[in-house]
Amino acid sequence: MVESPGLATFAGDAGGSDQELVDQALAGRREATETLAQRHRQAAYLLALQLLGNRDDAMDVAQEAMLRFFASLGTFDRERRVQPWLFTIVRNQVRDLWRRRQRRPGDGLSEAGEALTRQLVDLTANPEADLRRRELKQRVWRALAALPAAKREIIVLRDFHDLSYSDIAQVLDIPIGTVMSRLHGARQQLRAQLQAGGRHA
Amino acid sequence: MPEQCGRTFGEALLSGYLDGTLVQGDEQRVRLHLEDCESCRTLVDGLAAVKETIMTSTFDMPPDNEWSEGPSTGSSRVARGVGWPLVIGWAVLVCGYAVWEGWQESENLVERLILVGGVSGLGLLFLGVLLDRLKAMKTDPYREVQK
Ligand SMILES: [Zn+2]
Repeated sequence: MVESPGLATFAGDAGGSDQELVDQALAGRREATETLAQRHRQAAYLLALQLLGNRDDAMDVAQEAMLRFFASLGTFDRERRVQPWLFTIVRNQVRDLWRRRQRRPGDGLSEAGEALTRQLVDLTANPEADLRRRELKQRVWRALAALPAAKREIIVLRDFHDLSYSDIAQVLDIPIGTVMSRLHGARQQLRAQLQAGGRHA
Repeated sequence: MPEQCGRTFGEALLSGYLDGTLVQGDEQRVRLHLEDCESCRTLVDGLAAVKETIMTSTFDMPPDNEWSEGPSTGSSRVARGVGWPLVIGWAVLVCGYAVWEGWQESENLVERLILVGGVSGLGLLFLGVLLDRLKAMKTDPYREVQK
């Protein structure tokens, strides 16, 4: 098993900005394509995993998203950043999957939450001392999985993937002026869920 | 939020404050209010703790070899794009030659009709499949990124 390294850097990343790599990939340079793929596919997988909960589904979605990403490289607008554009594709794939299975984004959430927390990795050297932190992580991701899809998406994009408000607006296809209030509403609901869960526990 | 809070700004600004995305004036207003208001401070601290928990989470990643078509995807699509026309060209040449030979060899009209009918039927089927594939290629990959 491999653990997620810092998402930005990889050993063997030949460097160069995403935009330069896109140009080189379009010119047929295979190394550029490989570097682009290695740089972004893990984030694509993680977003899919966090939205779907299920590892195999997430892998299918991420693979397909990468295919579509490279297939549409020619139409990529250079003013935009690669990651939000790829995330737009991932999100559409996730919604397609829900639609194909005739499920609404809220169905089967407790299984999704359980499956998702099983994918959490404990990186601390002293697991005993950090038991509380680990339990907190599991509770938070379980509660996130139980939120309506739109709320889960916005929190994950901001707090895990560290997207700017304007990138979030692009991925979710919403006006940038509404990002902060939607994010706050989602965070409030998550917090309420955690507090309710804490009382029952 | 208790009634007596006396906040003069929308609550969502607390999230902007947490994210460090507020303009200077708003940032200052929120900061000053937080100095005086315990309930808003509690709320921001609670949100910050959840945010921190999400930020520092780590997940199991699939090993590199699970990425089936992997990074070479772009190039292999291009290779397939060039490969198919070559294969089709080759097939047409070989079949054309075979038909020409058959035509020369055959003695009567019936044999020639069977030959031409069979080959053109196969050709039409092949053409149909080809057109379908082309149509799918044109529409499919771009569907997801159009907005
Ligand atoms: Zn207050």
